[in-house]
Amino acid sequence: MFSDCLDKWYICGLKRLKRVLDKQLAKRSTAESDLEDNVQGLADRRPRRRRFTIKAHIYIVFVVSLVIAMSIGAALLLTMFMMEKNLHFIETANKYVYLVYETRDRESDYVLYGKGLNESLETVRKLEEIVLEHYGDLKKNIDYENMVRNIEKYGKLLEDVEELEGTPQAAGFAEKKEKLKAELRKYGSEMLNAADVLMKKEVESTDKMMLLFRLVHIYALVFLFVFILMVLHLLGYRVLRSLNRFASYTKLMASGQYMNIVPDNSYSDEFYDLSLAIDQMLKDLDRQQNILAQSQKLRAVGTLTAGIAHELNNPINNITLTAHMLLEDYNDLPDEERLDMVKDLIEEAGRARNIVRNLLDFARESETIMEPIGLGEVLKETLKLANHQIKIAGVNMDLKIASNMPRIHGDRHQLEQVFLNLILNALDVTVKGGLIKIEVAVSDEPNFAAVKITDYGQGIPDHILHHIFDPFFTTKAKGKGTGLGLSVSQGIIAKHGGQISVSTKVRRGTTFNVKLPITTIPADLDKRSETAIDTQMTQPVL
Amino acid sequence: MAEIVKVLLLDDEPIVGKRLKPAIAKLGCEVEVFEKPTDALKRIAEKEFDIVVTDIRMDEVDGLEVLQHVMDRSRRTKVIMITGYAMMELARQAMEKGAFDFIAKPFKPDDLRAVIVKAAESLGMSLQDRS
Ligand SMILES: Nc1ncnc2c1ncn2[C@@H]1O[C@H](COP(=O)(O)OP(=O)(O)OP(=O)(O)O)[C@@H](O)[C@H]1O
Ligand SMILES: [Mg+2]
Repeated sequence: MFSDCLDKWYICGLKRLKRVLDKQLAKRSTAESDLEDNVQGLADRRPRRRRFTIKAHIYIVFVVSLVIAMSIGAALLLTMFMMEKNLHFIETANKYVYLVYETRDRESDYVLYGKGLNESLETVRKLEEIVLEHYGDLKKNIDYENMVRNIEKYGKLLEDVEELEGTPQAAGFAEKKEKLKAELRKYGSEMLNAADVLMKKEVESTDKMMLLFRLVHIYALVFLFVFILMVLHLLGYRVLRSLNRFASYTKLMASGQYMNIVPDNSYSDEFYDLSLAIDQMLKDLDRQQNILAQSQKLRAVGTLTAGIAHELNNPINNITLTAHMLLEDYNDLPDEERLDMVKDLIEEAGRARNIVRNLLDFARESETIMEPIGLGEVLKETLKLANHQIKIAGVNMDLKIASNMPRIHGDRHQLEQVFLNLILNALDVTVKGGLIKIEVAVSDEPNFAAVKITDYGQGIPDHILHHIFDPFFTTKAKGKGTGLGLSVSQGIIAKHGGQISVSTKVRRGTTFNVKLPITTIPADLDKRSETAIDTQMTQPVL
Repeated sequence: MAEIVKVLLLDDEPIVGKRLKPAIAKLGCEVEVFEKPTDALKRIAEKEFDIVVTDIRMDEVDGLEVLQHVMDRSRRTKVIMITGYAMMELARQAMEKGAFDFIAKPFKPDDLRAVIVKAAESLGMSLQDRS
């Protein structure tokens, strides 16, 4: 029975322990997952910068200014207070000096004329009163005990003299009187000495106070000045520099170069937020432009497919004919003939694949890959793409590529798209048997390569010329042109740091001139000096 | 009936001539094959063919020009045009100019043979169609 009970207890205890452990485990795991979440959240965001906003900066400056202003005020108050105390002391000292002189006057009155002893006693009492009353003021400036003792002694002497005067008949009166007089003179001069010391102290402390007062003012002014300069520098410089930076960004943006905006402060502030926002905006813009470019590309591909489809007919026809003849005559043909036919089949299939592959490669939506490329190759590829179109139009192409062209830095497919657009535009205005000239050379402008595409078509009248780069501007029939070709091309070229210009003459023809910056190493793109060296090196070869 | 149908085949794709020559010859025709339109035009000037099969689209000389030449040379010659996909406009023009018929690439040898047989019949000549 007892052991049963024990067992139950034991089991119950175990269960409870388990529950506690489970709870603990659960708690820890949630804590861990919380921690993980936090870490994830942090990792998602950009590398953390210390947050120091301009708002905080202003607040700090404000608070510090307040503290400084208050301490300057306090310092001024303190000096005022000290001045007041000093004034007090001066007053006391003056009173003392005055009374001492008066006492001595009385004393000499008494000594010379034998009268005024009572008044003398009175002034000494007053003197004593003042000295006792202004203990605080005097204590600091003079040997107070000695001073009080002197006065007391003097008072005592006066009393003694008075007593002596009461008994003029006493023995040794004259003798005693002389002795007392001498002592009176001695203590009187002691008191005068103290008065002199006090006067000196008075002058000294006044000078000291004035100096302190002046110094406090000067220091306060200088400190304020330096502080304001510092604030101006820190805050103004910080704000102005950022504003200037953004001004230069907008200039670049306006020219179509969407570079990454990287905040250069090491801490995150409002400008950092702004640059992130602008960066996001640019990314969105860039994405939209890419979408537009892609859709325009697909339209150009649409134009090309008619030619491609026709071109595909040939290999397919060859394959059909060969396969049927092989089937028909299989048994009658000698082996090498059959082999020849199979080889033809393979070859023609390859030809078909190549025709489609070029186009598909071009049409594919691809990442922007900036790499050093030869403009000549890009144009040859483009002409291959447009080949069937050109054949159908019955137009002659004259492609001239300068030898030893320096490479440029760009995206192959995007540039192909630009040149395809220009070539298709030129084809549209060129009559059968006409000519289109393409020249690839170094531009007149230093550090630029140029591609000139010239047609001898109808030219572009002035009122249209203003609009040809506008999106959706077209003079072509519905379904033939969307008006996106030139606008998209201009966007692409701007992104490459180049520009497109037109020169045209009505009924004579049009030349589109595409300029692109020359580079050999991608890192050189923003280092003008090095590209200059590049071209210097390439120029003698040309 | 002893007369042999003389056929000229012109296409700038060499394989077309290479494969069609034996195919047409099986009909009992006499076949001459050309890749270059200029060569073909020269031959047409020399000799009167019963049937001329020509690609409508070639680099140097257009199929329509060849048709014109043949028509000028002899009105009884039947011209069969080989057209590409979606070139109905050209085909229509050819028919207006007096082409006998057209056949669109890609086609089977039998398709062309059928058209040739038809053309021969319209000339009053007979060919043994294989089928
Ligand atoms: N070489 C040229 N000669 C004459 N006019 C031109 C030439 N190139 C462009 N244009 C004019 O500029 C307009 C805009 O050209 P753009 O390439 O942007 O659009 P599109 O060719 O009309 O359409 P899309 O290229 O989208 O099919 C054309 O409609 C045409 O009027
Ligand atoms: Mg266009």
